[in-house]
Amino acid sequence: MCEMDTTLVRVDEFIWEIPPSGGMRVPGRIYADAALLDALGSDQSLSQVRNVAHLPGIRRYSLAMPDIHFGYGFPIGGVAAFGVDDGVVSPGGVGYDINCGVRLLATDLTRADVEGTMKRVVDQVFRDVPSGVGSHGAIHKLDRAELTRLVVQGAAWAVEHGFGHPRNLDHTESAGALHGADPDALSDRAFQRGLDQVGTLGSGNHFLEIQVVDEIFDPIAAGAFGLFEGQITLMVHCGSRGFGYQVCEDYLGVMAAAASRYGIELPDRQLACAPVTSPEAARYLAAMACAANYAWANRQMIMHLAEEALLRALSIGPKDLGLRLVYDVAHNIAKIEEHTHDGHTELLCVHRKGATRAFAPGHPELPAAYRDVGQPVLIPGDMGTASFVCKGTQAAMDQTFGSTCHGAGRVLSRAAAVKRSQGRSIERELAAVGVTVRSQGRKTLQEELPEAYKDVEEVVRVMDGAGISPRVARLRPLGVVKG
Amino acid sequence: MEAYKRWTPAVHAAAYRVLDHPADLWLEVSGATLPQLFEHGLLALYDNLVALSTVRLTESRTVAAQGVTAALALRALLAEALFLVDTEGFLAGGARVTVEAGLPIAVRAELYGEPLDRERHELLAEVKAVTYHRLQAEAHPDGSWRAAVLLDV
Repeated sequence: MCEMDTTLVRVDEFIWEIPPSGGMRVPGRIYADAALLDALGSDQSLSQVRNVAHLPGIRRYSLAMPDIHFGYGFPIGGVAAFGVDDGVVSPGGVGYDINCGVRLLATDLTRADVEGTMKRVVDQVFRDVPSGVGSHGAIHKLDRAELTRLVVQGAAWAVEHGFGHPRNLDHTESAGALHGADPDALSDRAFQRGLDQVGTLGSGNHFLEIQVVDEIFDPIAAGAFGLFEGQITLMVHCGSRGFGYQVCEDYLGVMAAAASRYGIELPDRQLACAPVTSPEAARYLAAMACAANYAWANRQMIMHLAEEALLRALSIGPKDLGLRLVYDVAHNIAKIEEHTHDGHTELLCVHRKGATRAFAPGHPELPAAYRDVGQPVLIPGDMGTASFVCKGTQAAMDQTFGSTCHGAGRVLSRAAAVKRSQGRSIERELAAVGVTVRSQGRKTLQEELPEAYKDVEEVVRVMDGAGISPRVARLRPLGVVKG
Repeated sequence: MEAYKRWTPAVHAAAYRVLDHPADLWLEVSGATLPQLFEHGLLALYDNLVALSTVRLTESRTVAAQGVTAALALRALLAEALFLVDTEGFLAGGARVTVEAGLPIAVRAELYGEPLDRERHELLAEVKAVTYHRLQAEAHPDGSWRAAVLLDV
């Protein structure tokens, strides 16, 4: 099935459709411009969009964002919504790094305030926020009882333990905790992997950046988000670490057996799933919620560790720094949400795998401060270019189940990126464009080479042009800590 | 039982190669026998985690796994080894593998190595998971094996 040619029909400037064929229950829809589609080349992600359209209870479209690339079963950059009565839940539709996401912090500092300090700042953050392969030890190793509380409470657990302020929760998607988290749905292994990794960044494409707001596109939304040109911001990109991977691993096995038990025909084994109404799905969602909450606690703690690092490096007080949470979004998650489509409103299980929620102005889940402008959408780019703040819209609610893109998306394999880095100093190249970088892993910088990624500007422009998530501000990296 | 040996660069070259993949680490593993296929799978995993020459063989751990096919057994074995990396920081620089005849295929590996020491070990990548994607293993008429496994990094 994966080898079939995929027919694409152009719907408008930014939308392409894969008409239903074979066992597809709905069409596929891809948000992209011609250049991004070309860049997909021989990537199998379009076949994956088609495969997802086979799953029972899928509504409207199997969706792909412009940063789509190949994933296991579901493509990364994919969105699929299923009816809660007739649809399915799939761990492959969430991914291994459950609630991988992005947190944006604003400060009262401007570029002038940090002139000449970036090496000091980056070194301090690098020391204080554990990163890299197997990073651990941000706080004392938790015991099982503490971790049990953490995975139920999420970010609130971190706040309760002195990491941040209760007001942060209001500016976190789902207030930093999914309901229904049940520690009894977790394996011993998940606990073992989670005990020592809270408050750590991990490695790969995860990062902590010190950035400057270099362009405002929407002054009203930027004002509501507390952003202004020349301002220093911090961005954290990470997830649920080994804890989340273990939950995914545990339930891929469960779901493979469940799919055949429920007679669900799968075009690809990695789409393993179970009916939303089944006990297997209930347990997965309960375990997934634990992992999502772990990730929110993790980012909440990293925010606090980063704040302390900045205060130390710059020898200033918390009032001078003025650090505050703009927003925190999940981009690997499945959530039960109410959506209106084709004239009726229903509860759906929305899978976002490498896709960001983008709720419209007025949505009850948004904090009061953002209710008039829409949800802040945080789109990280590669370490040499830029990241974006966008905003959710009614068009997103109408077309994409309130979802948009999540980043740039890789174009070069890691091996190809390492090869292309030979004989170059990525550190020096970044320094030449004003970015100070520190990385734990020797290969990470090579693998994360800016040109290994799609042009984030282009990805964001598509979703802006389509009216799904208009741009609010662009953030340029000044300092980068990679795992 | 396969003889135990420390993994050396000469062994690496024959054991596996990296196939081209846009996001993850896709490995093609070879072995003259089924136990050696499993051993080379382990080698490939650790070789992508750490510079193997820096790993001292001072401790051992045992991991066991099974699968109804050789491919599933290989995946499960690597997932077991990865679990030890994640929870104990245990890195192996050599292994001895035994396979029980019959179904499911039951494999047991004695891993030789030491816990992670950030001062001495150069870590190369974080492997998040051993996936089922494109997972396969096949035997050749001469008894040798070849497998493909994709690591999420």
